[in-house]
Amino acid sequence: MSRNMKRDESILGNIDWGLAIVFLIMVFMGVANVYSAAFNPKHPDLFDFSQKYGKQIMWVGISMFLGLLVFLIDASIYRKFAIPIYLFCLVLLVIVLFMPSVNGAHAWLGIGSLGIQPAEFAKIGTAIALSSYVNSINVKQQNVNTVIVANIILLFPMALILLQPDAGTFVVFTGFLFVMYREGITYDPIVLHLVNLIPGVRFKSTWVGSHFIPILFVVVFLSIITLLMSNNTIHFFLFPGIDIPGFFGVIGALLFMGVATYLILRFFASKRERNRITMIVVIGFFLCSLIASIVNFGFQGLKKHQKDRIELFLGLREDPDGEDYNRNRAMAAVGSGGFFGKGYGNASVASVESNHVPESETDFIFCPLAEEWGFLGSFVLICLFMFMLFRIVQIAERQKSRFNRVYAYCVAMILFYHFAVNIGMDIGFAPVIGIPLPFFSYGGSSMMSFSVMMFVLLKLDSQRGDVLG
Amino acid sequence: MNTDARRYVIIVFFLLVGSIYAVRLFYMQVMDDSWTLRAQEIAEKRQQITPPRGVFFDRRGKKIVANKTYFNLMMREADMKEKFDTNAFAKLIGWTPMKVKSRFWEIKLGEGKYKNPHTGKTTSNYQKIRSYPFVKEMSMEEMANIAPYLQNFPGFYEEITSMRSYPYANAANILGYLSEVNGEEVKEDHFYRAGDNIGRAGLERFYETELRGIKGIHYIVTSALNNAIEPYANGKYDTIAKQGPALHLGVDIVLQAYGEKLMKNKRGCIVAIEPSSGEVLALVSAPTFDPNLFVGKRSISKNYSRLISDPSKPLYPRPLSAEYPPGSTFKLIQALTALQEGVIRPGTSFPCTKSMVGCHNHPHARNVSEAVQYSCNPYFYYTVKKIIQQGKRKKVTEDAPIGLAKWTKYMKSFGFGVKLETDITGIRPGLIPDPAYYDKWYGHNAWGFSTIRSNSIGQGEVKATPLQLANLAAILANRGWFITPHFVKSIGSKGPLAIYKKKQYTMINRVHFDPVIEGMRMVVNEKGGTGSQARIKDIVVCGKTGTVQNPQGEDHSVFIAFAPMYKPKIAIAVFIENAGFGGTWAAPIANLMMEKYLKKKITDKEKEKHILESDLD
Repeated sequence: MSRNMKRDESILGNIDWGLAIVFLIMVFMGVANVYSAAFNPKHPDLFDFSQKYGKQIMWVGISMFLGLLVFLIDASIYRKFAIPIYLFCLVLLVIVLFMPSVNGAHAWLGIGSLGIQPAEFAKIGTAIALSSYVNSINVKQQNVNTVIVANIILLFPMALILLQPDAGTFVVFTGFLFVMYREGITYDPIVLHLVNLIPGVRFKSTWVGSHFIPILFVVVFLSIITLLMSNNTIHFFLFPGIDIPGFFGVIGALLFMGVATYLILRFFASKRERNRITMIVVIGFFLCSLIASIVNFGFQGLKKHQKDRIELFLGLREDPDGEDYNRNRAMAAVGSGGFFGKGYGNASVASVESNHVPESETDFIFCPLAEEWGFLGSFVLICLFMFMLFRIVQIAERQKSRFNRVYAYCVAMILFYHFAVNIGMDIGFAPVIGIPLPFFSYGGSSMMSFSVMMFVLLKLDSQRGDVLG
Repeated sequence: MNTDARRYVIIVFFLLVGSIYAVRLFYMQVMDDSWTLRAQEIAEKRQQITPPRGVFFDRRGKKIVANKTYFNLMMREADMKEKFDTNAFAKLIGWTPMKVKSRFWEIKLGEGKYKNPHTGKTTSNYQKIRSYPFVKEMSMEEMANIAPYLQNFPGFYEEITSMRSYPYANAANILGYLSEVNGEEVKEDHFYRAGDNIGRAGLERFYETELRGIKGIHYIVTSALNNAIEPYANGKYDTIAKQGPALHLGVDIVLQAYGEKLMKNKRGCIVAIEPSSGEVLALVSAPTFDPNLFVGKRSISKNYSRLISDPSKPLYPRPLSAEYPPGSTFKLIQALTALQEGVIRPGTSFPCTKSMVGCHNHPHARNVSEAVQYSCNPYFYYTVKKIIQQGKRKKVTEDAPIGLAKWTKYMKSFGFGVKLETDITGIRPGLIPDPAYYDKWYGHNAWGFSTIRSNSIGQGEVKATPLQLANLAAILANRGWFITPHFVKSIGSKGPLAIYKKKQYTMINRVHFDPVIEGMRMVVNEKGGTGSQARIKDIVVCGKTGTVQNPQGEDHSVFIAFAPMYKPKIAIAVFIENAGFGGTWAAPIANLMMEKYLKKKITDKEKEKHILESDLD
């Protein structure tokens, strides 16, 4: 009895309380937000299980119970049973394809509100499988084969998810590429293989191949932002008359970020690395500015029908009541929040009764939050996510076990993608693809999968001292 | 290869996205207010609450314009049954099935279309989820008949609305009517929304801004289905609708109704004014119409075209707009002007020569009073000649313009030839010719008094409205001043408009009125007077007849009067078209009106019967 107590204490003692508390704060905020977003005046009781907030509390309860199980099970089980877990997820993803379609997608296993979405759990399964695989290989051995195997691990669930179809979750899986990048599994061997086919060329590594993923990310992200801004003028209502063309706004932002990055990295980096960082930031700034310029002026030079197509894709075309209905309503809800917001329960665009913003309790859950809590609430939410992500990276980097580290990075990237895409679509920075905001969106599957993901991470971290854990 | 440094790449990504999002959110939520406006467009709607219009009371506190509850039968297609029984519904509301169907189309097409400039798609503005009035302005009785069966037709329901009602079917030409605003009015004045009512004529139009009151604004949050779901910010920004003030009229509705009754089957006007206040007691335009015919869209569209095309012109506000030669009633101010100018004295006498103007047989007029009593044409011919040609220039054609210019000023000081600022629409100025007028016709210095002599007996070029004649009677009653005739003695409790508190003085001194008024007394009360029909027992009536020559037909019969002689309570002008001699028709009608007002009863039932039974139309 006393030994058990001691073991429990040691588990709790080893938990990373910073992460755990942020996680709990977000779950609490999430329930409060769902209560407002789905409020039904006929059932005002928070614990009314016929309502979405009641159910969300139930899901939180179930998630906590699952968390308890996770804490009771030894962490080594995930490494040992990585392949069965992965295969089990794949089987579920196959089965779900034969289930009746809900809202045009075969995403639900089970009936009605008690169903689960295997795709949500496949993220954990894939994360464990990838961690297990990366753990098993020698970094120095990385070659074309390892790259292919790692990609195949991602490819199966991604293909099955695309068949549902669920574009949002599909996109989230590309986050694993960043984890591989961190672990040195990049497309460099493939690029090298191809480049070295050219007679007389014999590279040991290519910079582009090694950093293909982040470069692609930067190019895509920067291009979209530049295109979004290129037609706009930024007005400052505090300083009327000072209007900045969108393109210069982008360059200005890049400069600002360059300086900020430089200062932050200097803080982290050793003296020896500083010169290198300076160089990287300067080169980075000029490269980014170059990309922005190419995109901006390239876009201006496009023919009209080409422009139209791109604008339509980006949602720049004014069609607020047609194609762009959801995004327009969502942005109106967010943008009308002001600094302090309209007050809890006072959303007018994103309220459940008004129903202007569809799915305001699931995919567009950020809308009621931003409308009711304004910039203050939105900023707090961003800060919480940022803190959580940094903390997970910190945790990842302190792991002795490569399995743990890869898994932690997987969690960070999944959360980051969900955060970036979900909020991005409410502020016009991402296309409208339905993926939940972790811990905030209503839904059993996402609540349970994100919680379990988090508990597994906390458990792995708590046992990081175990030999070869 | 050591890849530890790559953690920074990932950290930078997180930071990059986080900070860009924060900046973007700050811009969207705090700096750029276009999304706030968009949100208001989408969800926060202003609901206007139209208050009931101000009501009207007559001078004795009787409500003469009220608001009555009506119903609109509303339709909301989204709630309708898929198999709508057109025949049964048509039977219920008493329409033909064809009419029901065409009404559906009318509503749908009436909403217009919207062409999306980007997609090129054209969509109807009609929305199934919106409510539209299917039948407008049904009376309580009409609604009561169908309301119990409406439950068989989901999607149809009743909505309360307020419309005018007139407890007395009189004074239509004073009160005016309401009808829906047109597009231009909506554009001009943001108070109005399509479907709102606006005053179209009469007092309803003149006092529109007072009567319409203040609209209330109720801010609501509306749903995607356009349903109101809750008050916005718990009604913090709402304003309350305020009914327009009641208009207290100087009109005596009993007298007005009596006047309209007397004027049945006749064409013409009666205008009665309280001299001391300038308040219009009655203003009858005959023929007239029942104001209740102009309540609501349905009855207006039914009755308007019929009344507007009626050859007897019931919609034409004769007392205000019809410009007639004033006839012999005009002699009164010729006498006053001549006395003021000193060209005659009260005892002046002229022979009734009939060489220049005709006259009837009457005893010789020995003074101004008798000239008025007998309405001697030559007397006033000579009198006005003395005003016009005072001998300031040797040449007659140079002298006349000087005199006429002076004369014109006198006439205008009586409110002739100018638009009286009465609080109603449709006022005409009449005509008082000035030298320029005749210069235009005959050339400069090419005319003299003989050219314009007809004016001296109220014929020729001069024209006046019955309202101006009644005002003349009021000026005589007041011995030299008037308050612009007006209908509203008090807007709410604020009293009349400022201009109706100010006495306007004519150019005639008080003393000159006595001989003229004595003449008017003799017109009615002495043997040989032309207006003996206007005599009232125990009350001294002063009057003047007029017989207006009319090239189109029979003479118009005119009579102006006031009573009692001292401390007058009523001044009146009666104008009967094509009725002949002034003393025969206009005088007895004026008599009945005055007696009705002063005594509240009619002593001479025979006279009343005779007038009521006469058909002069």
